[in-house]
Amino acid sequence: MRYSQALLDHFLNPRNAGLMREPDGVGVDEYEGCGDLARFFLRVREGRVSAVRFQTYGCGPTIAAASAASERVTGRIVEELLNLEPREVEDAVDGLPDDRKHAADVVAGALRAAALDALRRPRGGA
Amino acid sequence: MSRRVYLDHNASTPVHPEVLAEMLPFFTEQFGNPSSVHGFGREARTGLDLARERVARFLAVGPEEIVFTSGGTESDNLGVKGLAWARGRGHLITSRVEHHAVLRACEWLEGQGFAVTYVGVDGHGMVDPDDVKRAVRPDTIGISIMHANSEVGTIQPVAAIGAIARAAGVPLHVDAVQTFGKVDLDLNGVDALSFSGHKIYGPKGVAGLWIRKGTKMVSVQHGGEHERRRRAGTENVPGIVGLGKAVEIRGRDMHEERARVSALRDRLWEGIRSRVPDARLNGHPTARLPGTANISYRGVESESVVLGLDLKGIGVSAGSACTSGSVEPSYVLVAMGSPLDWAMGAVRHSLGRSTTAEDIDYVVESVEPIVRKLRAAMPVGAA
Repeated sequence: MRYSQALLDHFLNPRNAGLMREPDGVGVDEYEGCGDLARFFLRVREGRVSAVRFQTYGCGPTIAAASAASERVTGRIVEELLNLEPREVEDAVDGLPDDRKHAADVVAGALRAAALDALRRPRGGA
Repeated sequence: MSRRVYLDHNASTPVHPEVLAEMLPFFTEQFGNPSSVHGFGREARTGLDLARERVARFLAVGPEEIVFTSGGTESDNLGVKGLAWARGRGHLITSRVEHHAVLRACEWLEGQGFAVTYVGVDGHGMVDPDDVKRAVRPDTIGISIMHANSEVGTIQPVAAIGAIARAAGVPLHVDAVQTFGKVDLDLNGVDALSFSGHKIYGPKGVAGLWIRKGTKMVSVQHGGEHERRRRAGTENVPGIVGLGKAVEIRGRDMHEERARVSALRDRLWEGIRSRVPDARLNGHPTARLPGTANISYRGVESESVVLGLDLKGIGVSAGSACTSGSVEPSYVLVAMGSPLDWAMGAVRHSLGRSTTAEDIDYVVESVEPIVRKLRAAMPVGAA
């Protein structure tokens, strides 16, 4: 199989998919030339991510990477997410084929943007 | 995985058991080179001759008009370049929805100094014969139009285009890879026809080009005197024997199968339409391949649907392809004017001789939750 079991599991049963009411931070990233898009919503309590929701448009690995990353970042300190690397997202789905690495790029980019948005708000990181 | 359903017959088909049985002795016993004069060669030649006769009988043409090739792509290249080069220079007409084997051959010929007009299609993917007529110029030397499109299944008005070609004195090549052995084609007005083995339960790596007697055509590859000097290279005898047998079986089975498969295709579309909102059938409603249903799910990325169905044991193909980080909608759907949010969600289901009503019902049941879940994770209007 081309994709890992973890990736297929997240693809078939995405966790935290959907919208969030009044999020504390929102971030979007789009993979240039590809059209794959990820949008993350963060709920922040005492400087930590207390809840995550996401929406994606893209191939299966992008959906899976977003789902796996949403679990991976829950509970983390928001500031840490400013440095979230695609490598960590890829690890969360046990690897991506070379021609699907962009799935990790777009998910990491959207999460970094969401963290930055949360920290810039008046109650940033509250 | 409990169940496996193959709905990608336009990509390839399983070899028919009768075809395989007929091929096998030509690997191990009748293995000679058909050009050799000795008995071993003559045995191989017998298989080759029978296959040529079977194809000729099916098309109601002369066996000497059949050239065997290595695949549909080679047949198309020979058809298009062979017609062009035989005339040296001039203008060609083709359509925007041809297979890449024709499109890229035409583009390459443009680089060699030939002019090419690419006629468009309507919303059903159909070429308007009047557009072909208007495109004809005094220096037009060839027309290449496919019989049916592999993605959406629309059958082109070949008879009308053939009449235009005849009136203009221009040879017409038809890429019939997707229709040969599936639907009837009147060769009136046609001068060259590409067909392939593995779309009709024959082996891969073997195909052919029918060239009407008297049509000026030059070969694309040079070497020995094979195929009446029109295609050099030792013939793939087991493959050609298999193609011949596959064609014979199609002559026997294709009409009955056409009716059965068409009914299953309609069952698939009706089932999906009644369960999945925002789904659309692409292609012509009536002038279409019996087994092809190209369905768009609005706002969903087709590769995700293909992956979801793959995990249920179902093989279909995506209209858009994500390769090297670039998602391109199908050029056929783009030519048809399909909006991007529909074109990106196109999934092709192509049915065949082994497809059953139970298979179709399983696919219909499987599609709905996949599309629903994908839509739940997708931002509206992202496409």
